[in-house]
Amino acid sequence: MATDKSNIQLITNGILNENPIFRLVLSMCPAVGISTTVMNGIMLGVAVLFVQVFSSVTISIFKNVIHPRIRIPTYTLTIATWVTVIDLLLAAYLPEAYGKMGIFVKLIVAFAIITMRLEMFACKESVQASFWDGIGMGLGFMFGMMAIGFVRELLGMGTLLGYDILGFQPLLFFVLHCAGFFVVGLMMAFFNYVEIIYKKTKQGA
Amino acid sequence: MKDIFTIIIRLTLACIMAGLVMGTTYIFTSNAKKHNEHVNEQKAMYGLLGYGPANQAPDSMVLHAFYRYIVSHDDLLHLGYLVPLQDKGFSFVTIDLDGNFVAARQVDITGKEAIEEEARHQAIAAVLDEEATIRYADKTIVATNDGRRQAYLLPGAFPGFKTFIHVMLALDPHFTVLGLEVMEHEEDPGLGGEIEKDYFKNQFTGKPYEVLKHLDVTKTPLPDDYRRALEADRTGMSADDVRVIQEQYKDKDIYALTGATISSRAVTNGAKAIVKKFAYRLGILDKVLAQENIAVPF
Repeated sequence: MATDKSNIQLITNGILNENPIFRLVLSMCPAVGISTTVMNGIMLGVAVLFVQVFSSVTISIFKNVIHPRIRIPTYTLTIATWVTVIDLLLAAYLPEAYGKMGIFVKLIVAFAIITMRLEMFACKESVQASFWDGIGMGLGFMFGMMAIGFVRELLGMGTLLGYDILGFQPLLFFVLHCAGFFVVGLMMAFFNYVEIIYKKTKQGA
Repeated sequence: MKDIFTIIIRLTLACIMAGLVMGTTYIFTSNAKKHNEHVNEQKAMYGLLGYGPANQAPDSMVLHAFYRYIVSHDDLLHLGYLVPLQDKGFSFVTIDLDGNFVAARQVDITGKEAIEEEARHQAIAAVLDEEATIRYADKTIVATNDGRRQAYLLPGAFPGFKTFIHVMLALDPHFTVLGLEVMEHEEDPGLGGEIEKDYFKNQFTGKPYEVLKHLDVTKTPLPDDYRRALEADRTGMSADDVRVIQEQYKDKDIYALTGATISSRAVTNGAKAIVKKFAYRLGILDKVLAQENIAVPF
């Protein structure tokens, strides 16, 4: 079964139609736990993007030799390998970036979104399609994390990307873990509302 | 049945391949990683002493490291210190648990080799009895200026909210804290992760030993003027003003981070324990070194 979507469609699919956070509602632990600032969102997004692309391509290459009954352990193994490799490479050659991102990279092994994309897409599709799908999903995840981080950082700490915007801290509650659920829920509602309005105007026209 | 075998074989192959990939990367990157860690540590040490790219350390300043080991031999526990000697080489000084001198053995190792834990271990094991086992405990760096002790640098680790928090403490010769640097931690970003921020870690700066011994955390909010002084790098407060405010707050407890009392308390108690133990051990070591006329460069 080959996908009939073009590369561009695969990317926009990850960002909009099947956005990992707002649509698929996967990998909520990092979305809630880490997305306290925009910078955290970008860092984790970049890390996920790399791991997702590498894992998708690897699984897509080896899809014919993976026994169907042990596919999940194989996926986990693949993800863990890439996470370790990226972690080691960052620590060795980009110590500055590692100082900021190291903590996030190690978290990725447990992300549901990556396993899910391997199971739903990479194990059936061509290498090229998997590559673009990985990029789309990674970007979608990064977009989601940044959007949540934007709201939480602005409302929780009064800053954006570390720069003081408001000059005071409106509500520290938004930095705490539980607030992540509220923010995700409200943003999901907002996006659904936008979609309903969009469809209605389309039908009306 | 046949299925099981193919599953086993394929899973094994997948594991071996993953292992090979990770192993190869590790081999290629481990040296660079070690080098980075060493550079980081050096930078943090000079930073705590108040030196940086803009303000180079004087040539008369030297850092001497000594290492503490636990030596067990026939149910006997001794403390062993690998100390550098005035003229050349190292000496491994063992002290019993009551603080009495046991033995001093010349260790054949250069200063550069001593940085590597493995090489150090082998050199010490070579001069000890065969039955004795040694375990590395910690290291201390003494910064001297023209041969006079200027500061102690203590790397240390203690459990935080999640895993270990690795810190580096700088003390002056009277055990007053010169600074605290968080080297490595995995606290939650935005909450416990704030321990690495200036407004928390700089609270330790200037705390005298007497205050530190009974240091606790308080949940009262951080006063605005103190915060401005702690974040002097950002607010641009002059060094003299900072010193005045530091003096004013030096007897106060550590102001806990909002939403991260456990992490705040972990760092406070951890730093307290490191300094208290160090002050006690250094007293004994200095006494023994003086008694036995072991000439050390610090």
